[in-house]
Amino acid sequence: MTQLQQPATTGPGTESPAPSVGQLTFQWAAGPAIPVLSVAIALVIGAVFVLLSGNDPVAAYSALVQGAFGTPYDITETLVSAIPLVLTGLAVAVAFRTGLFNIGAQGQLLVGALAAGWAGAQFATLPGFLLMPIVILLGITGGAFYGGIVGLLKALRGVNEVITTIMLNYTIVFVMHWLLQAGPMTAQNAFGTPASTPIGAGARLPVIIPNELVLFSRLHAGIFLAALAVVVFWFLLWRTPLGYQLRAVGLGARAAAQAGIDPALHMVLVMAIAGGFAGLGGMIEVSGVFGRVYDGFSSSYGFDAIAVALLGKNSPLGIVFAALLFGAFVHGGAYMQSHAGISSNLVAIIQAFVLFVIAAETLVRSLTRRRHGRKPVEAIA
Amino acid sequence: MTWEMLVGASVLAATLRLATPIALAALGGTMSERSGVVNIALEGSMLVGCFFGVVVADRSHNIWLALAAALLAGLLLAALHAYASITLRADQIVSGMALNILALGLTTYLDYEMYGTTGTPSDLVAVPDLHLTFLNGIPYVGTAIGDQNWIVWVGLLLVAALQVFLFRTVLGLRWRAVGEHPRAAETVGVNVRRMRYAAVLASGALAALGGAYLSLGVAHSFTDGMTGGRGFIGLAAMIFGRWTPVGALGASLIFGYGNALSTSLQGATVGGVRLPVQLLGTLPYILTILAVAGFVGRSRAPAADGLPYETEGHA
Repeated sequence: MTQLQQPATTGPGTESPAPSVGQLTFQWAAGPAIPVLSVAIALVIGAVFVLLSGNDPVAAYSALVQGAFGTPYDITETLVSAIPLVLTGLAVAVAFRTGLFNIGAQGQLLVGALAAGWAGAQFATLPGFLLMPIVILLGITGGAFYGGIVGLLKALRGVNEVITTIMLNYTIVFVMHWLLQAGPMTAQNAFGTPASTPIGAGARLPVIIPNELVLFSRLHAGIFLAALAVVVFWFLLWRTPLGYQLRAVGLGARAAAQAGIDPALHMVLVMAIAGGFAGLGGMIEVSGVFGRVYDGFSSSYGFDAIAVALLGKNSPLGIVFAALLFGAFVHGGAYMQSHAGISSNLVAIIQAFVLFVIAAETLVRSLTRRRHGRKPVEAIA
Repeated sequence: MTWEMLVGASVLAATLRLATPIALAALGGTMSERSGVVNIALEGSMLVGCFFGVVVADRSHNIWLALAAALLAGLLLAALHAYASITLRADQIVSGMALNILALGLTTYLDYEMYGTTGTPSDLVAVPDLHLTFLNGIPYVGTAIGDQNWIVWVGLLLVAALQVFLFRTVLGLRWRAVGEHPRAAETVGVNVRRMRYAAVLASGALAALGGAYLSLGVAHSFTDGMTGGRGFIGLAAMIFGRWTPVGALGASLIFGYGNALSTSLQGATVGGVRLPVQLLGTLPYILTILAVAGFVGRSRAPAADGLPYETEGHA
């Protein structure tokens, strides 16, 4: 049953189980050396790129920080960018904890967004106290359905989740083209970018910062949903029998099976849960930011999520910190481009090296610690 | 909807054109995974091939140098993947994802720094089409294959050559042995590590040739993210083609045909209903999932695919 082996990356089991929130904080504080180091290395490499392209790295980075945190408005925008990253980060992390590599957070997010956007427009006239729960529920269900397919194919047919999630990420992109360009969701008078009908007022997450405090802030109530999701993630994994079983499968599927935990069932469950987190992220983007679904919206939150989860060591607080960092990159990068004249894609280069160093690092460490330990994420198929 | 839209010569010509970059990426994937290394950085290799081919074409006005630069760029990106996954035994999926992000970020960054918002120059040297004038008079065939790009033909040759190489030569047998059972291969004297490095580097160069085809052969320019996931479709074609070069070509042709149809059927109606052509784009991915799940044929990866290898006694 090699296919049940866990990924060798910062997968499950890198820290002792069942910590309290306090312990988790402590653990992350005690062990952030590697994440911090990987970010530092990536920043240095990024600086080299800036230098090579004839620009000033100090100017670039100060513009980045200025852009991300310079004004109260920027801080709220950084938070707006971080919210979907938290949700998709949780989607990747919960799967990691069960020994699965969920590359599909992007697709799950889009399905959640489509489901939420459909419901928000379909029942637009309902009052908020009815409509909002429907939209939230459909967002979560949509993502859970899309993630659940991956778990089912893995459990029933032994299909590697890496393949399925890559394929499903692209599948939904084309389904979305159809739905929004010439399909049932296409809005009657959508100019320019293909989009769906706007959702009803009752489905909009309100902006929580009044204009008197921060003018034109877009920071919306989705931040509470994201915070709640982080708590659910922690409570589920470390305070419920199901979470214990999921982590047991992640630590060793065969041992878990010996103990009477059905790995196949739990793989389906965890992929549905993962999809639910990502789907909620999509719902929040629709309800909190855009008010409708745009074709090609949220280009890369699901992919950044892999870096967020790995950088956050799949722990609740780690994910929050990592999402904030990447949110700052996203928002600060735009400012850096307009004010320092350095392409915001510098941020992508930095993110890539963060990920690359983490990938290489875990193995460097596992080389020194235990040589015949785990197998890597299994073959692509 | 007419027959012309379904099987017209121009649709077949488009099929071949669209299948070529997919097939080259799939060939790269096949070579790499046959040796036991999963390379999802094919997309990235393709993209850097696109970009650096254009940059050198612009600077040198020499198409051979441009092609060499494209292949070298793809090869260098693959070298990073090889170092991480073979030497450091890093997680091959994470490394591949990182390199894809890097390729997209790097090319977009440099594109902005070098060409700003004006785009790449319009007078780039290009890889020419091969005009088969003797086919001119022949209906259908002339249109279908008479004016394809040189790289299309090179790609077809590579498919044949690599099929023979993998399945009819001693070195090819060793190559596959390393992907199926590296310990056994090493026992009989095959250098697993060297073989895998060669495989990953080759996969990067093959994918980059697909990238060069897109930028230097077809578009004659570079636009950000212009590979548009073709490296991933290539992975799908590799799986659907059961990890063989000829199978990969077959799968690529099916995917390319679906692609061609989604253009030729644009706006077409059947019984007054407009065809949802966008959904044709899902074809490669759904077929691949079905193939891997065993619903359409059977698709099995090399046994040691994705597993790092450690020489005995090294521990």
